[in-house]
Amino acid sequence: MRVRQIRDALLKTPVGLLGLLSLAAQVVLSVWVVVSYPDDFGNRVWSNPIHWVDNPKAAPPTWIGRVDNQPRADHWQTVRGEPETVEEKGRNLIASWNIPYIVEEGAVPAFLALTVRDVRFEERAPLLALTLIRPDETRVSVLRHAVRGPREGEEGPYERHFDAPLRIQLSADESTLSSLQEFLAEEYGLQMDAEEIRPRVMDILFGMPDAAGDGFAPMSGEYTFLFQTATRVEGDGIGSVELVAGGDAFGRMGTDSIGRDLAQGLLYGLPTALVIGVVVALLSTSIGTVLGMASGYLGGAADTVIQRLSDIVANIPVLPLLIFLLFIIGPNLTVIIGILIAFSWPGLAIQVRVMVLHMRSSQLIEAVQSLGSSRWRVMYRHILPQIMPYFLAQIIFTAPSAILAEAGLSFLGLGDPSIPTWGQILEAGFRTGGVYVGYWWWIVPPGLLIVLVASTFMLLSLAIEPVVNPRLRQTRRAD
Amino acid sequence: MRNLIPLAVRALTMVGVFFVVLLLLVLTLGLTGFSDRILSSVVGEQIRVERTTLAETIRDPDELERVLAARKAELESFYGLDIPWQRRLPASVFRVMRLDLGEARSLRSFAGSSRIADIVLERLPNTILLMTTSTVIVALTGLAGGLYVATRPGSWIDRLVSGLAAVTYAIPTWWIGILLILVVSVHWRLLPSGGMYSTPPPEGGWLRFADLARHAVLPVLSMVLVSVGPYMYAVRTITLNIAQEDFVGMARARGLSETRVRNAHILRVAAPPIVTGLIFGLAGSLSGSILIETVFNWQGMGRLYYDALAGTPDEGVIVALTFMFTLMYVAIRLLLETLYIFLDPRVSYAD
Repeated sequence: MRVRQIRDALLKTPVGLLGLLSLAAQVVLSVWVVVSYPDDFGNRVWSNPIHWVDNPKAAPPTWIGRVDNQPRADHWQTVRGEPETVEEKGRNLIASWNIPYIVEEGAVPAFLALTVRDVRFEERAPLLALTLIRPDETRVSVLRHAVRGPREGEEGPYERHFDAPLRIQLSADESTLSSLQEFLAEEYGLQMDAEEIRPRVMDILFGMPDAAGDGFAPMSGEYTFLFQTATRVEGDGIGSVELVAGGDAFGRMGTDSIGRDLAQGLLYGLPTALVIGVVVALLSTSIGTVLGMASGYLGGAADTVIQRLSDIVANIPVLPLLIFLLFIIGPNLTVIIGILIAFSWPGLAIQVRVMVLHMRSSQLIEAVQSLGSSRWRVMYRHILPQIMPYFLAQIIFTAPSAILAEAGLSFLGLGDPSIPTWGQILEAGFRTGGVYVGYWWWIVPPGLLIVLVASTFMLLSLAIEPVVNPRLRQTRRAD
Repeated sequence: MRNLIPLAVRALTMVGVFFVVLLLLVLTLGLTGFSDRILSSVVGEQIRVERTTLAETIRDPDELERVLAARKAELESFYGLDIPWQRRLPASVFRVMRLDLGEARSLRSFAGSSRIADIVLERLPNTILLMTTSTVIVALTGLAGGLYVATRPGSWIDRLVSGLAAVTYAIPTWWIGILLILVVSVHWRLLPSGGMYSTPPPEGGWLRFADLARHAVLPVLSMVLVSVGPYMYAVRTITLNIAQEDFVGMARARGLSETRVRNAHILRVAAPPIVTGLIFGLAGSLSGSILIETVFNWQGMGRLYYDALAGTPDEGVIVALTFMFTLMYVAIRLLLETLYIFLDPRVSYAD
């Protein structure tokens, strides 16, 4: 059996070709992810709730609308810089932004948030106001806000909200509640207290009292957000204003309970999974081969020690020990990979030794030895090439179990928090109870991806199985 | 009794496994300073308790402090905190073996005890229950299915089993469990999504048992789903290989009935490797049960891991669990290997 045979098995059988193509696609995608994602994606982006604050929480993917035909508001987010008009009114300069927003039939947004950045003023702090002009021409004053004025001892020009933008969750803001109270009383003669309004702010903003009189019917059509600032002198003003209307669905893969875009996390998991699989497989297989060769060729005390050690390590119940070691040493991807390597080599060491024992007694090796070749030369030139196919096959067998093992550990909460993996996404979905409320888009895709990557390696091993001794299939599962 | 020697070698290996794990536990605890921290907190807790009792008899605060300081030094030397951990090693090994790891931080046993030994031992039967049930089901269905498929090599059902075996290598057991919860308990509302009993648990032996069985369906099903394919495939392959041997052909030629050929000739030879497959599957099912217990909130030792890891981690409990799992694994392996010897005396380990 030669390496060439394995190559043929992979390239000339449909199963092998499918596996190779799938692996190639995954590698290309991984390279793209590694190149295009920011460094430190885990800490700075994924595990940083502020980064996801404007996303809807636990929203299903947008394509679900095409499946169940339920009305859902699209996620809507817009940023404006320069004002559209500036007019003088008395001693003030009024800058206005008109931002159109369309509500589809029955699709009231989930929340409304306003973000203002980079406020600058010479003397008097600007006033900010947001008014909602509705399709029926009624106007709701949603917000009036005074930017914080000069502090004692502070010198102008003053700068506000440069580092931390001013973000107001309008759907939960107290001043919005009271202006809605006024609006309802004036427009419809409805008297409601703040606690009654609080849970239905969005229904009131984007609807009108229904015929029955106890609820609000959504009002679809063209809305306009009129955002205005009142400043004193030329040059005062804001850098940008941003409006977010939270959707009932988000992106290709939906979001989790803190609004993280699952598509991003799922993509990021791909290179990580491949690296775990390949690195663990490559290193543990190398260790197993080297130790097996040494054991078989050197014989004597070295053989006994290596074989006893392999036997013991091969019989250790891996998962409990993995949990223990990771817990004590700390969750870190390098440590996870290191421990997985430390427990995956013995199977091959035992098999390689048997092969080496067979080969050592072959006439070729005896002839080469009697011609005076050194031990190392014999091992390197004559024995290693014959073991190579098994080495390659074992790499393919080990990779999926390493990927599954990491996923299992992450699921127990022992994943490296700075590098999000599919196991960690599943863990978050399970721990926060996403499973029990049926957030399938949080639970199904990461598991499917684990299965996809692991089964790619299984396809490759199915393809080369007829070439390689089937006994090799006794790899261990640690999940 | 020539088989006793290889059996002794296997037994020694398993004992070796046990001590290597124990040593690894203690070394890791010592090298990282964890053991010192655990013991210090044990001493600190004991001093805190004694302070309240002593404060009632000793009125003078200086006197109280002096007595407590002496008591603390006494305790520290009792636990060996005054000597480096390397020299404390034998004592540590012994302590782990007795599960004498002090009190759990916040976890309690069902009876309310905070002793780690009580908590862990109380969970042990639940883990054994789950593991045995699923292993027995896997063994029976795998054996029956594998033998059946072996009579129809190349048929669609044979290909299905091979495919299933390959696919299940790539599926995490615990994810299957989560999917089952999502579909069967959340979407269809057919079975409970976790726990072992309803709250409140029903009265009466049979009702209580039925309730337990209802809760066990999904966890057992997930474990069976991922293990039965590979096992069935192994049984099929072993049986097929033996069915092609000459002596089977001989038996048929002698005019023996097909049933008799199967039971008396094929199965007798196939039994030992089939059992070996089960023995090697044990490590997998042990790991599987840890994660499945976590998913289904099954109150066994596996779920205890998850509980001990969440929030403020409970290091004593984690050490005890790792030790208990190793002990359990080694014990079952030894038991099965001994049975294996008697199953087919012709087969020795020495090959």
